[in-house]
Amino acid sequence: MWKAVRTLTSRATTSQPRLRDVVIIGGGPAGLSLLAALKSSRVTRDLQCTLVEGGSLASVQNFASNPPEEYTNRVVSLTPKTIEFMQEKIGNWAYINEERVKVYDSIVAYDSQDSDSRISFDASAIGTGTLAAMCENINIQASLWERIQELNMTSDVPAEIMDNVKVEKIQSPVEFSASEALDELPDLLEVDPTDGMSELDWPIIHLSNGESLQARLLVGADGYNSPARKFAGIQSRGWMYDRFGVVATIKLCYEDYRSIGWQRFLTTGPLAILPLRDDNATIVWSSTPELSQLLLKVDPEIFPHLVNAAMTLEEVDLNYIYKLLEVDPSDKSVLGEIEWRLSKIKLLELDSKYPLPVRELVEGSRARFPLKMSHADTYVAPRVALIGDAAHTIHPLAGQGLNMGQTDVAHLMAALEKGAKRGMDVGSTLVLEEYYANAWPGNHVLLGVCDKLHKIFSTDFTPLVYLRGFGMKTLNSLGVVKDLMIKLVSGN
Amino acid sequence: MRPVTATAAFSRLARQVQGRRWASKLTTASEDELKHFNALASTWWDVNGPQRILHKMNLLRMDFIVDTIRTNLQLNSKDTPEEESIYIPPYNLDLLPRPIRLRIVDEQELKRDELLDESKLQVLDVGCGGGILAESMARLKYVDHVKGIDLSPDVIEAAKLHMKKDPILRDQGKISYELQAIEDVKDTEKYDVITMFEMLEHVKYPAQVLSAAMDHLEVGGWLFLSTINRDPISWFTTIFMGEHILRIVPVGTHNVEKYINEYEISDWVKTNRPDFVVTDSKGCIYLPAYGWKFTETALVGNYFMAIRRVK
Ligand SMILES: Cc1cc2nc3c(=O)[nH]c(=O)nc-3n(C[C@H](O)[C@H](O)[C@H](O)COP(=O)(O)OP(=O)(O)OC[C@H]3O[C@@H](n4cnc5c(N)ncnc54)[C@H](O)[C@@H]3O)c2cc1C
Ligand SMILES: C[S@@+](CC[C@H](N)C(=O)[O-])C[C@H]1O[C@@H](n2cnc3c(N)ncnc32)[C@H](O)[C@@H]1O
Repeated sequence: MWKAVRTLTSRATTSQPRLRDVVIIGGGPAGLSLLAALKSSRVTRDLQCTLVEGGSLASVQNFASNPPEEYTNRVVSLTPKTIEFMQEKIGNWAYINEERVKVYDSIVAYDSQDSDSRISFDASAIGTGTLAAMCENINIQASLWERIQELNMTSDVPAEIMDNVKVEKIQSPVEFSASEALDELPDLLEVDPTDGMSELDWPIIHLSNGESLQARLLVGADGYNSPARKFAGIQSRGWMYDRFGVVATIKLCYEDYRSIGWQRFLTTGPLAILPLRDDNATIVWSSTPELSQLLLKVDPEIFPHLVNAAMTLEEVDLNYIYKLLEVDPSDKSVLGEIEWRLSKIKLLELDSKYPLPVRELVEGSRARFPLKMSHADTYVAPRVALIGDAAHTIHPLAGQGLNMGQTDVAHLMAALEKGAKRGMDVGSTLVLEEYYANAWPGNHVLLGVCDKLHKIFSTDFTPLVYLRGFGMKTLNSLGVVKDLMIKLVSGN
Repeated sequence: MRPVTATAAFSRLARQVQGRRWASKLTTASEDELKHFNALASTWWDVNGPQRILHKMNLLRMDFIVDTIRTNLQLNSKDTPEEESIYIPPYNLDLLPRPIRLRIVDEQELKRDELLDESKLQVLDVGCGGGILAESMARLKYVDHVKGIDLSPDVIEAAKLHMKKDPILRDQGKISYELQAIEDVKDTEKYDVITMFEMLEHVKYPAQVLSAAMDHLEVGGWLFLSTINRDPISWFTTIFMGEHILRIVPVGTHNVEKYINEYEISDWVKTNRPDFVVTDSKGCIYLPAYGWKFTETALVGNYFMAIRRVK
């Protein structure tokens, strides 16, 4: 049914935009997932789709044949729901390098002010065999890339991916006078009042390679600063946490057969050690701007000990150690300070209550990124839909950024499939509204839960500390915080 | 509970139709109605405008049409060899384990896709208005052509104009619109699907319009229609609430005397058209915050009907 667009395309000159049914901006996990899903579905696979990515996808392409030796530092925790979606709907899971995926089945979270206030839960809490799986972002992107290549081989309408091409400007073909306020824009589907004026109302996307595309549906999978969102005039509300997330790949003393994800709530933010295969693990350390800077420049030999200290010692002691390192990030005397303090803890307690000690930092794997929470007021406008970080960004304490993007893709796909079966124009708000109605509320709840957890734990104000300590202990059985955490980690 | 006699208008007309075939559009068009729809032409395609409720209804009726066509496809013909035939379990699929259920459903759906892909359906949309349904039908892969007819020149104009806003419709020649009455459609024109949505309640002699349309159906073809039961609830929801209180439908769109009850149509088909079977009737209701949804009964309020030519 989309053949006409094709013939038109080949006729188009450079000055005339090339017509596409779907243009996706962004080759991150969300954008590639949507493209693979669109091409996998019998209902939508004939849509002419183009994905535009500003950066290079070379490392994504090379991952399958030549994976890097060490784990990359952008690792996410995938929920069982996300994995099922990738297996059944997108079909990229078959291309995941499973040797680099680590399934884990329980989480232990404890408080920095009182290590006896802890909650733990395992897969039985959500009624599945696994709680979640740790997987590198690039492994996911590469599997999607492979899946798209596979689909393209047999497709009459192959997906088109352009990388190293930036979207420079998005333009509405309908001319508006400057005085018109944004909310007075006529609905783009309205019939032109004058005869002969019925031109396409599809947005025009100008690319850095000089080409331009005109899209029936423009999907913004273009991350936090989403040009697509700005074009659609959709407000995004939220705030910066004044915190940075520091990520790193580390090696433990030996492989931990327990498959546990550890999380400690420090007043500077949560620190998590999440298991990877063998003796590998990844950390996400949310911290104040100053601390995050320090963490990036601490001597690589000291860094593992610092992580051990932060998972175990009292915060007064930690602050003392930070001070020493502020003065000299390579101050080896710190090693002794940490050793001495750790030695005061009983061995049995160390073994049972804390993660295995970290042995080594994988070189060059440290990075930090600002933490923010934001949520777009809506995900849709005429001929525009937003998915992934373009629609929402979340605190990483529950590792949900990517999973939420997958839920978006699932809901958007459901709406588009329904629309296509109904013979609708898939860029119409009549089709897209359903995506927004189904995806927004769930994300809103997740964002709220994460925000609340962050606020409860990032404080050393005594009454609150007392309360949350009290809460942690009793709530382990009662379940409020625990339920919140389970909900977050498992995506249920 | 059913009154034995159908409405005056409907049965009077039913008699006339049986007597002889009329061929003048004057018998079916109503001047006031056409004036009303002419005035609405310019805002027809504003999905947030006066016809929003029709745009929303289009979603549910496309489900009704597509699902009816799909579920009534014959998956295995008599001479399909055993090993190629599609397995249709004789019991409820929900009883099966999930992976098996998914596979069976998927196999059936695939077969339906294949069968549909082979068909090139010819569609006639009677009382097409601005073309909301016609455009949706034309975008379906398995529809070859849609002809839309209406008696309001302005809405036909709006329909022709809007079609140009989608390259698929503009360049493939899958739609044509004509200012034409159903009685004036040539006898030789035959269709696989004829649609008549939200239209019978606007004509003077509904049975004649119905009958004229049915004559153009191929054997195995479908007539899909929607209209409104003549009952206090319909008056309350469509005229009192819809037009006057919520103002989601332009005032003057409806006239309760012209509403036709579901059983009037099905009874009429039974007695007058033995070559047709009413396959399905479904009631539906508009909920302002939600949109249209199916109800328990087709005997109250709005309803859709699927009528199939069996011989
Ligand atoms: C450094 C970093 C580390 C992270 N670590 C974790 C973690 O440990 N755990 C976790 O759960 N989450 C983490 N996140 C968040 C997680 O990665 C995101 O939720 C997820 O990547 C969102 O995917 P996305 O596809 O929506 O957006 P992105 O991955 O942000 O992809 C957007 C893409 O759009 C492209 N783009 C933007 N503008 C244009 C343009 N004008 N033209 C062309 N292309 C454009 C960008 O190049 C980018 O590739 C991290 C994020 C960052 C930035
Ligand atoms: C409520 S609109 C429905 C339009 C379209 N079927 C839909 O549902 O989207 C009713 C349409 O029927 C048309 N109409 C009324 N009487 C008619 C008749 N006798 N023959 C053809 N069309 C008629 C009107 O002009 C109007 O466009």
